[in-house]
Order: sequence, then C-alpha cells, then structure tokens
Amino acid sequence: MITPTAYREALSRIDAPGKFAAARQSALEKFLQAGLPDSHLEDWRYISLEHLERMPLHAPADPPLALPALEDYPGAVLAYLDDRLVWRDTTLPATMLGTLADAIGGAAATSTPVAFGSLAGNASLTQLNAALWREGACLRVPAGERLRQPVFLRFAAAEADAMLYPRVFVHMAVGSDAILVEHFVGDPDIEYWQNPVTEIVLEAGARLTHLRIIEDSKLATHTGLTAVHQASDSSYRALNLTLGGQVARHELNLVLGESGAEARLDGVFIAAGRSRTEQHLRITHQAPRGNSRTLYRGLADARGRGVFDGRVEVRPHADASDAQQSSRNLLLSPHAEIDAKPQLEIYADDVRCSHAATVGSLDEDALFYLSSRGIDADTARRLLLEAFIDEALGLLDDTGLRDWLMPRLRASLPRGQAMEPLS
Amino acid sequence: MLQIRNLHVAIGGKPILNGIDLTIHPGEVHAIMGPNGSGKSTLAQVLAGRDGYDISAGSVHYLDKDLLPLTPEQRARAGIFLAFQYPLEIPGVANVQLLRTALNGQRRARGEAEMDAIDFLEYVKDKLVLLGMDDSFLYRSVNEGFSGGEKKRNEILQMAVLEPRLAILDETDSGLDIDALQVVAHGVNSLRGPERAIVLVTHYQRLLNYIVPDQVHVLAGGRIVRSGGRELAEELDSKGYAWLDDKAEFIEASP
Ligand SMILES: Nc1ncnc2c1ncn2[C@@H]1O[C@H](COP(=O)(O)OP(=O)(O)OP(=O)(O)O)[C@@H](O)[C@H]1O
Ligand SMILES: [Mg+2]
Repeated sequence: MITPTAYREALSRIDAPGKFAAARQSALEKFLQAGLPDSHLEDWRYISLEHLERMPLHAPADPPLALPALEDYPGAVLAYLDDRLVWRDTTLPATMLGTLADAIGGAAATSTPVAFGSLAGNASLTQLNAALWREGACLRVPAGERLRQPVFLRFAAAEADAMLYPRVFVHMAVGSDAILVEHFVGDPDIEYWQNPVTEIVLEAGARLTHLRIIEDSKLATHTGLTAVHQASDSSYRALNLTLGGQVARHELNLVLGESGAEARLDGVFIAAGRSRTEQHLRITHQAPRGNSRTLYRGLADARGRGVFDGRVEVRPHADASDAQQSSRNLLLSPHAEIDAKPQLEIYADDVRCSHAATVGSLDEDALFYLSSRGIDADTARRLLLEAFIDEALGLLDDTGLRDWLMPRLRASLPRGQAMEPLS
Repeated sequence: MLQIRNLHVAIGGKPILNGIDLTIHPGEVHAIMGPNGSGKSTLAQVLAGRDGYDISAGSVHYLDKDLLPLTPEQRARAGIFLAFQYPLEIPGVANVQLLRTALNGQRRARGEAEMDAIDFLEYVKDKLVLLGMDDSFLYRSVNEGFSGGEKKRNEILQMAVLEPRLAILDETDSGLDIDALQVVAHGVNSLRGPERAIVLVTHYQRLLNYIVPDQVHVLAGGRIVRSGGRELAEELDSKGYAWLDDKAEFIEASP
C-alpha cells in the first residue's frame, strides 16, 4: 500500500499560484485514490512498479549549487537538474522557449497555452505528474516560423531516490516547423524515478521532428507519456530511443485529428542486464487521409525484457487512411525476451493497413561470414546490430543529429560475451 | 603450407568427411572436384573455422601450426580466405564497411597501421578496376540484391583486398558468364605468387584453363579418391565421375 505522505510533502513544497494549487491538489487526490498502476491493467501486465513502493521516494531537495558538466548540445538548450532549470542557452525569446511555470502562471505569463493539460488524459501517473511538476518547459513556435536549430530539453537526475516530474508543453502554430530533442539522463549509480509528461499540439500544416531519448541510469525507473494531437496536413516525426533505465516505459498517444495528417514513429529500444522496457503506442486515425508509419527495432540481451505494444485504431469516417506498423526484434541471449504485439482496429473504408512483427536472433551465418574475413566477434556483432537498428534511424540524417547521437547509441549496444581469447 | 591428415568430420552424427589427406605447398594451385554432396564445401568450411562440425579424428596444420583451435577471425588474420559457394547477404552493412573493417582488423593483428578512409578508397579502387566492378558496389549492402555472378565477383574483390596466403574458392566459377569468368580468373591469377597457395573447388574444367592447377583431386564419399595433374580434370570432363564409381562405393562400404 502506498503511503501518501511523500506525495503530499512534495506538493507542499511547490508554491503554485492559487488558481493552480487547487488543480494540483485535486490531481493528487485522484492519483492517491487510484494508486500506482498494477498488473490488473492490461497495459501494465508485464511491468511492475512495486519496487517504487519500497523506495524512500521524495521530492528532490533544493537545486544543487554546483552544476554538473554539460555535454555539448548542437542547438538551443534548457537543462534541468532534479526538475529545476539550471541552465539556459538559447537566443529564442522567452515567449517561445521557457519554463512552463512562467508560461502559465509567472509574471511573464502571456496567456495559458491553449490546450495545456487537455491531451495527457487522466491515468493515475499522469495525475501525479499534473500535481507535482515543477518548472517544466514550454515551446511555442509562432505561425509560419521555422526554427533553424534543434531545441534540446535535458532532464537530469542527480539525487538518489528522487521522484521527478518533467512536464513539457509544445505548441506548433499553423505552418511552423521545429526539431525538439528530449533527453532524459541521470547519475549512473543512483535509483530514482522520472515520470514525465509531454503534450504536443500541431496546428494545420505544422511540422515537428521529435527525438526522445531515455538514457536514465541503469537503476532508474522511467514512466513517460507523450500525447500528440495533429491538425490537418500536419507532420509529426518521432524517434524514440530507450537506452537506459532498469524499468523504462514510454507511452505515445497520438491522434491524427484532422484530414491529411502524417505521423512517422520510429524507435529503438535496448533491454540489457535485467532491465525491462516497454513501448506502448496508441495511434488514432480520426479523420480522412491520415498516414501513420511505425517502425521499431528492439534488442534484448542477458535477462532483459522488452515489449512493443502498438495499437492503431482507424475510426469511422477516417476513410482512405494509411497505417503501417513494423516491429522487428532481436534476442541476443537465451534468457532475453521480447513480446511484440501490433494491433489494428479498422472501422473505416478504403483503408490501407499492414503490420509486421518478428522476434529472432542474430544470424549465425552472417556472423561467421564476417569473422571469416578477419573481423573479430565483437565487431562483427556490432556491425550486424548497427545494421539492424539503422533502418529506424533515418531521422538522424534528416535532422543532422547523427554525429551527436551515434556515439551514445553505440555505447549502449550490448557487447555480448567476447570469444575465448586464444593464444 | 597446409597439411591435412586423416581428417574425419561429421555433422549431427552423420559422417561427411572420412579421412582426408592433402598437402599444399606455397606457390601451388590445387583443384578439388567431385560429385554433389561429396563434402567439398564441408572441407572448405572446416578449414575456415565454421563451428557445428564434429571433427572426430585427424589434424590440420597451417604454416606448421595446429589450425583447428583457431577461431575463424584468427584464421583469416593468419591469411586464410574462403570465397563462399553461397555468399551471404548482409542488409545494412555497406560493402566498403565490411572491406575496411576486415582489412584493418587484419592489419592490426599483424601490427601494421590501420588504413584511414581516404587511403583505403585509393587502395580499393585499384581492386575494383581489376575486377571490372564500378564504385557503386562499395556503397551497397553486402551482396544484397547482387546477381549471382556479382556475388561471386564480390567474393573475389574481398580476396583481392585482403591478399590472403591461402585462398579457398568454393565454386566461384559457378554462375559466372564467360567474360566474368575471365575477369575473375585474372583477379585470382594476379594474386598468385611463390608465398601463396590457392584451392579451387569446381565442377568445371573450364576454369582450369584460366587458372592452371598444379594438382587435381577428386573428392567422393568424403575421401580423396584420385589425385593427378591437369589431365585428370579433362578426363573427368569427358567421362564424368562414373568411372570412379567402383572406387567410391568401395570407400563408402569400408568401415
Ligand atoms: N548442416 C548440415 N546438416 C546435415 N547435413 C549436412 C549439413 N551440411 C552439409 N551436409 C551434408 O553433407 C554432405 C556434403 O555436403 P557439401 O556441401 O560439403 O557437399 P559439396 O561437395 O560441396 O556439394 P556441391 O557440389 O553440391 O556443392 C551433403 O550430403 C550434405 O547434405
Ligand atoms: Mg559445395
């Protein structure tokens, strides 16, 4: 049984303006009533959050004085440490990029962003985020504007047993265009819990390319939600990378709300050690001529376990929709496991849909072929693994972020058992 | 250079090679012929170090060292190269990536400096010319979508880049048109030298017109049942394997 004290204590530390305090309080009560999701819920069948109940979870203390060394981000940066904004490096005006707290409640508040809070839904973890998020981030790109540089949001954890609630709101006005990178990281050897929520609104003809990278510590728990709503002819292209975390779950709820919207959802997840990773995609075609394409690649090594759960629903009247899903997965050890469940529900006419899911292992013949050329077993494996995931990495070229990302991706690739050294 | 003594190999309990004896000296070219299923590819794969084979008796020495404990990459780094009868397709790995990784792996193992991308491109372009291949092959995925003949040519390109000491070509001539056969033969011949040896597994004596062997062996029933000079290949070409049948049956029947 969950003890509410830690959560209430966390809420008491947030000084929100009166009109938001009530909403936060009510969100917290809803969460406390529902509790942490457990295996009775279909979407939580495989993953357990029980360990959170045993942790001395608490809201992080005040921001640390010493800043951790920040890596180079090739673009505008907002860097958060334990939910506090600690670094800002951007030439964008505060009205376009700043904290969410400022955007909706602070002195510099223009007006409450349209639709803030309306996409995320009311699952218990989302309520918890709504109650306890602190500064948050808000990106609003005005109509017709195209950001030349990517915007990086770095959410780092430094305090053990901290619970963190990153909150992001993105509003892409008519015809705007941007690249957003959300990067979740943490000190390597600490346990903590990140429970982020990101809402993204795309108005007509807007385009967003979104990289979301879970690179949390090997002991961390990550339960993230991204909710996207697309107006007509908008384009949302995402690359979801899950490279870290002991338990890493990402849920992506995407609605193609008006005609002609296009979504491309790519992803790579790696479950190593004893980690658990889950990708839940809920794609809803609500209007005609929508196009969604999902392409995920999964790797599980050692006792790692992965789940790909992709559901596409084509609602009545969403005629002439096109939905493709592909989930290919590799098991790199006899104890690794991946479940791939693509699902299609079609209630409209003239729809093109397909899905494909495979779970296999590394091709021994290909490994032998490479090693017969003098390539050592480790390198041969790496070549094959990189080739396997590369299909899902097309956005790296489109965004120019390949050089930035590949080193960290390579570092996360399972090494495997090296062959016996022979003299 | 290579001494195979009384080599017995089984797969899943089924004997495939039943006592192979073969000695190859530096500078020599040996041809191995024999009916389908006689064990030619098995011998080639065992020499390259593929696992899954049960080597129940016999020995293989290469450059006076025991070859059998070595991993495939160690063998390759010691100069053994196998051109596969059925080259694999590796989607997502560019040909140039395979070639450079392989060459640098071998150079590193020999204590030589690695080649950077630019030097490597220079180096590989000469080899492409030698084999009449254009640059676009470098950037395609290994063998993916290659025609049968292109795959064989690509094997020889790898050989030309790696410059092995012992090259084993498993039916590299099968599926090549007449012009391609000459190009490939030219590529192989350019590698010949007093320090190197070549084993040609083939069904056709035509190849041997271009790459003239020092010895021809007939493998049947998992044994070398006849060895001779070039003329043996011509004899096989006109008479088939039937005239060896008695002998082959005798071998299968013997314990
Ligand atoms: N993995 C395997 N499992 C079972 N039997 C095998 C396996 N590999 C080869 N064999 C058998 O071993 C025998 C020899 O096969 P091998 O491929 O060496 O013949 P080959 O002489 O190269 O024939 P070809 O001229 O058709 O290429 C065949 O009977 C084949 O079916
Ligand atoms: Mg064969």
